[in-house]
Amino acid sequence: MEKIIVGRLLRSNTRACVVGCPPAQQFPAFGSLVSIPLSETEVVYGLIGDIHIDDDGLVRQLATAPSVDEAVIQDNRLNRNVPVEMTVLFVGSKTENRISHLLPARPPLSLDCMYLCSTQELCEFTAGSRFGYLRHILDAQDVPAADLLAAHLAQAGAAQRAQGNSAWFGQAAARIITQLRDDYPRLMPILETLADVENA
Amino acid sequence: MTEKSSIRKLIGSVTGGGLKENLQVRLSVPPQQVQEGSFIVIDSQEWFFYGIATDLQLQAVDPRYALEPSRQRLPENLAGLLDQQTLYTNLVVLPALMLEQEPADPEAQMAWHKAIEAGDKEKPNPLPVKSIPMHHADAFLASAGDVAEIFGKPEEEGNFVIGFTREQDHPVCVNLDKLIQRSSGIFGATGSGKSFLTRMLLAGLIDRNRASVLVYDMHNEYGLDDTASDTGQNVRGLRSGFGAAKVQVVGVGAGAAIRGSVPDFNLVLGYRDLLPEDIELLTLELNLKETTPTVLDALKQSFGSDHWFKAFKEMRRGAVIENEDGKKVPAPDSVAYWANQCGVNQMAAEGLHDKLRRLFNRPYIMENPPADSIQAVMDALKKGKHIVLSFGDFESDLDYLLISNLLTRRIREEWEKITNEFRSGKGQEPRPLVIVVEEAHKLLNRDMASQTTFSTIAREMRKYYVTLLVIDQRPSQIYDEVMSQLGTRVCGWLGDEDDIHAALSGLAGRDALRGMLSRLQPKEEVLLLGWGVPMPILVRSRRYDEQFWKDVKSSRKVGLDQEQVIKELYPD
Repeated sequence: MEKIIVGRLLRSNTRACVVGCPPAQQFPAFGSLVSIPLSETEVVYGLIGDIHIDDDGLVRQLATAPSVDEAVIQDNRLNRNVPVEMTVLFVGSKTENRISHLLPARPPLSLDCMYLCSTQELCEFTAGSRFGYLRHILDAQDVPAADLLAAHLAQAGAAQRAQGNSAWFGQAAARIITQLRDDYPRLMPILETLADVENA
Repeated sequence: MTEKSSIRKLIGSVTGGGLKENLQVRLSVPPQQVQEGSFIVIDSQEWFFYGIATDLQLQAVDPRYALEPSRQRLPENLAGLLDQQTLYTNLVVLPALMLEQEPADPEAQMAWHKAIEAGDKEKPNPLPVKSIPMHHADAFLASAGDVAEIFGKPEEEGNFVIGFTREQDHPVCVNLDKLIQRSSGIFGATGSGKSFLTRMLLAGLIDRNRASVLVYDMHNEYGLDDTASDTGQNVRGLRSGFGAAKVQVVGVGAGAAIRGSVPDFNLVLGYRDLLPEDIELLTLELNLKETTPTVLDALKQSFGSDHWFKAFKEMRRGAVIENEDGKKVPAPDSVAYWANQCGVNQMAAEGLHDKLRRLFNRPYIMENPPADSIQAVMDALKKGKHIVLSFGDFESDLDYLLISNLLTRRIREEWEKITNEFRSGKGQEPRPLVIVVEEAHKLLNRDMASQTTFSTIAREMRKYYVTLLVIDQRPSQIYDEVMSQLGTRVCGWLGDEDDIHAALSGLAGRDALRGMLSRLQPKEEVLLLGWGVPMPILVRSRRYDEQFWKDVKSSRKVGLDQEQVIKELYPD
């Protein structure tokens, strides 16, 4: 199945990148696993850690108008020039079919394509009780780590459960506890957020 | 992991500690699966370390995890995962012994065994702990094999199963040879099962026939059948168990009956048997004055060792006659007359006479007893029989102190004599003897210990083949010097802090053991301690019931070579 491009890279560094996509397109959900191919044999994986929609001059004018026609709103949304921006937190890479949870050796370049990972890819990346990539989320400074973890664990947990691995969520939670058990003030809010996922 | 360690139950791993402050083991199992006193084995590469659990402590990675139950904030499964990683139990292990392991690699193992067989390497034996295991060394609850490795195999000659480990019921043996090589003690508060334990140990000693046993049975418990005070069930006595050919019950006084049964023979003292020093040992009991030794010495000088008692008894107290001047003067057969004649203070002599009246009237002291029953007791012991001296109706402290002191003095003299004869090549080697003393503090307290034969036996009679087995509920009342000589100590529950302190005196790790002793079950749990056991261990004591006697009867009997036994017991 041919993969659909969800956006192109705007800027990046070793830990993260920002990807822009046309507002008309349905963009990936917060916490989704995405991939950015660097070459034919090398792929960088990341999680959507933030999505922001910037304003432009027209939006500012329209926002102050007493009434805006629905056609104008749709036109602004579909045809605007400012893209929807997504912050992608790098969590690993794949080189010649070997998945690593280390940061990529070099960041992707501008206008590189970003794709949404399939359930199969999500399971492959999170398989084998290997949770090293969780540290990138926990160490991230500019994203809401607790909610990003919760969103990712909800998606990955559902994918793994669909493949018969219902213990995955618990194993991931145990790994988070291991990493943060010495930091009570950080761990407890994260676990409470995970509790919301479980209860959902 | 060796074959032996694979059948052990893993309970955690070492996280810290040392020789002085004990080892810390972080438990990987719920704390209820390990109890204070458990026998712990730590597998640390080339060495096994053996120790005893002395404390369990609840710990948390951060105290805040422990302060608030996580289930109040999180769903069950997340709370479980959190508790698993943040709350844990630390086990404190008192290390006692270490043993070199055989190599795990088959080739190295073969070379190791060959070196031992060739005599190039000594066969590893448990050593007192001189080092500590590594970080994260696995800790296990001991298997039956571990218990047997350290405390001996139940089927081996000389080993006697005294009880079982608390959690896993592995049999724990006491080596009877070591038990009798030095004096031993059984301690415990009243009702803690001292008498049952003593019966069992005595049955073991008698069954294995390593030494003769003389029991001073103050309360008539050991010889004949008794009824348990708590269950009302019949408790078999040693003579009932082994028969009169092995165990003889001796009653105090002519015609004595022990709970309606006739003893095998009676112990009657002759006037000649009583020496002034026997009286001096009753100073506290008879409230004798400091003038007593002088008066007794004068009596001995006047009438001789054999006749002083009769002569003094026959003197009349306060008898007077009128002299030629019509003046009242002491009669020639009066105490005062004798005192005046010998230059002894009259008041002191009359006071002593008054106080000895309690002895003059004892029915078991006769001028001419029909037989020398003390000699009969000693002859029986020398021949390998075992004697239970039942005090029958004479259960007072006075009777107990007088008879036990007198008989023990005679035994000491006799065993010293035959040992000296043996050492000068003129006689047979003496039969080892264990004297069992109940209510030992009455004979071995601070005031009396220096004077009685018992303290001499505890201190030095090992050289003369005689040791003590003291039984008491107040070890704190026993003289420190005697306590320090006790090799094996079997301690039941003790409530008093002084008693606990005394029972543990002179032992390594006593601070750690103190709490354990105070938390023993009031019944059927004992702590084995001291020189006679390889390391301290808490055991659930065996039950003294019909099954016990069946086991005794079915145990392997070996025709013992007496000379060999003595050589093993007293190699020096």
